Amino acid sequence: MAGLAPVVLDNGTGSAKMGFAGNSDPSFVLPSCIATRGGNAASSSRAPAVPNKPSSLGSGGHLASKRGIDDLDFFIGHEALEHSKTYSVNYPIRHGQIEDWDQMERYWEQCIFKYLRCEPEDHDFLLTEPPLNAPENREATAEIMFESFNVKGLYIAVQAVLALAASWSSAKVTDRTLTGTVIDSGDGVTHVIPVAEGYVIGSAIRHIPIAGRDISSFVQQLLRERGETGIPPEDSLRVAEKIKEDYSYVCGDMVKEFGKYDKDPSKFFALYEGLDTRTGKAYKVDVGYERFLAPEIFFNPEIASSDFLTPLPDVVDQVIQNSPIDVRRGLYNNIVLSGGSTMFDHFGRRLQRDLKHIVDTRIQTSEALSGGLMRSTGVNVNVVTHKKQRYAVWFGGSLLASTPEFHGYCHSKADYDEVGPSLVRRFAIFGSATN
Amino acid sequence: MLALEPANRIINDLLTEKFIKPSSLDQAFVDFDSVRYHLSTPTKKTQLLLSMDIPCWGELVQYGALEVIQREYGQFVTETEQDYAVSLLIDTETVPEAGEARTALITSFSLLKRNALAAPFERAFARQKELEAKGPPGENEVVEKEQLMGVHYRPEEAIYLLPSPDRVTIIFSTIFKEETDRIFGRVFLQEFVDARRRPSCQTAPQVLYSNREPPLEIRHLQGLADGENVGYVTFVLFPRHFSSAETAFSTITQIQLFRDYLHYHIKCSKAYMHSRMRQRVAQFLKVLNRAKPEPAGEKERKTASGRSFVRS
Repeated sequence: MAGLAPVVLDNGTGSAKMGFAGNSDPSFVLPSCIATRGGNAASSSRAPAVPNKPSSLGSGGHLASKRGIDDLDFFIGHEALEHSKTYSVNYPIRHGQIEDWDQMERYWEQCIFKYLRCEPEDHDFLLTEPPLNAPENREATAEIMFESFNVKGLYIAVQAVLALAASWSSAKVTDRTLTGTVIDSGDGVTHVIPVAEGYVIGSAIRHIPIAGRDISSFVQQLLRERGETGIPPEDSLRVAEKIKEDYSYVCGDMVKEFGKYDKDPSKFFALYEGLDTRTGKAYKVDVGYERFLAPEIFFNPEIASSDFLTPLPDVVDQVIQNSPIDVRRGLYNNIVLSGGSTMFDHFGRRLQRDLKHIVDTRIQTSEALSGGLMRSTGVNVNVVTHKKQRYAVWFGGSLLASTPEFHGYCHSKADYDEVGPSLVRRFAIFGSATN
Repeated sequence: MLALEPANRIINDLLTEKFIKPSSLDQAFVDFDSVRYHLSTPTKKTQLLLSMDIPCWGELVQYGALEVIQREYGQFVTETEQDYAVSLLIDTETVPEAGEARTALITSFSLLKRNALAAPFERAFARQKELEAKGPPGENEVVEKEQLMGVHYRPEEAIYLLPSPDRVTIIFSTIFKEETDRIFGRVFLQEFVDARRRPSCQTAPQVLYSNREPPLEIRHLQGLADGENVGYVTFVLFPRHFSSAETAFSTITQIQLFRDYLHYHIKCSKAYMHSRMRQRVAQFLKVLNRAKPEPAGEKERKTASGRSFVRS
């Protein structure tokens, strides 16, 4: 059936983005959690996410011991959180990898039949996976998709590649290349991933333990230290998140910015007004230096953390220097931002400036070392920002899946029946400069 | 989730959001049975255009879908968007205040597909009432054969409705693309037949299932799909199943989604089987791990206080 759009599912650690190809926004963004009626409901409802606990095997409340229609008694997404009192809530995806396949299979059941309301037999599916995902995980995904759901076709794409594709929507991008460095910063962790012609350079990937959650708690800490007493304690993190999202921006120079604020406080200080969720009383919070200090922890991590001290531009530079020499120019030339924590105003501009500085300094040193015998033509550093940054991975998937040749790149059900799960170990990269 | 929801969640969510805060929008999405939707703001932010395309629209129009749509959405029906079957124009400035009235309106929009597909059912129910009122035919009266209504809502799959004086027969044909699905489907449908024998389900409609053989009512039709993977499900609805408006409403809603319901549950059953298989594999792995021989060589020995020593 030609008329039916492919389904794009991006299952992340924190939230699942799902929708149909061709749209500019996902139809649903749900927390990646599933609430089941397990035997250990009482204990785990208090501590919903016990890290590294293998929740599938051997526990008394396992699904396989259930009869009748118990296996249908579960909720996903926001509904799961609403039922956290009586059900046990689990996150089947950890660090981007699917850990609990039983729960994931049932999560997809409801994604497809309750939220998207489509028949998997009629649609091609585009799923995403983190870089360096084990091929076994791909195979398990394919088994579920083809054998349980009988999907018509399946394509599993690497998230970083989709983020690159999403940057094509930016006006600055003229050639549609799949070479570039992706900075993917979500809630839990920030990755810097070099991609050459659609293939991830696995050996050069770096992770930075600073992401959205750290910024929020840093803002929270700043507010607390300044003695903003108006904030009700239970709302404090939420207020910090709100200030981070609505007021923060990246400044050019921290010291100058402090000076500006001190000279003319009325112009820069903002006022946040909130309602106490419990008592319904209004309160006011002054928003001051945290407006520019919050995103500053990417560039000067020492102001917030004591164990990770490399600024983001340095990490990006190291990643590119670790990549093969023939792709470095391409990687510098196309640095793409993705994820909610890269949404700060001027984030891209600051990153570009700092990185350019690092690169130029290195070129000057090497020119000086060569004794003036060698001249460099210079390296272009280009950071691409665009409007779809927040759900860049999903948007890139939607963009690629809506192209007419997408269907040809999918592995079909017939192929799967012929070859078996090992079929999905390879997917042809598509969507590069040729179209 | 035992039964599928009749309302489309995307329409519901989008309308709820846009009624509060209008902004430009352009989304295309689908519903079961190859129904395509398009919700957009072509002219300005407050004018939402909701279009639906359904493959069997031509048939539905014959059975009075236009009247049903007119009845349900009268003032909203507008010029049909190209490539779609029906379009509704919603002005967010004139919708009722937030509250029950608005929720009801949103729900009614998200039931668009259900209402379009309801037309043949409503006609069949009405025809049954007519036939019943006419009474049994006389001795020599020639009984005209009742017209069979077919709705080909998917390629190769169809719903047939046959009203008769004392009942309405509804026949589904469905295709199982996969051998496993067919077996699951048969077990599942057999359960329907058996469940009716239980005293609590006596009032449920009669369900018959046949594999490959089309039921007598539709056997005369040309071009029925033939093959091992075709199944026919027959529901026999008696007047009590659609006596009042509410029961008729819920009967129509549930029976429309029957095919999707069946396939959803086949998939859930497979998922359940998979989880049992995974658990069994994990158990066997444990047994295998127990059977591993101890690593050869001298083990480190410890004294009672936990110190280790090397024997010379």
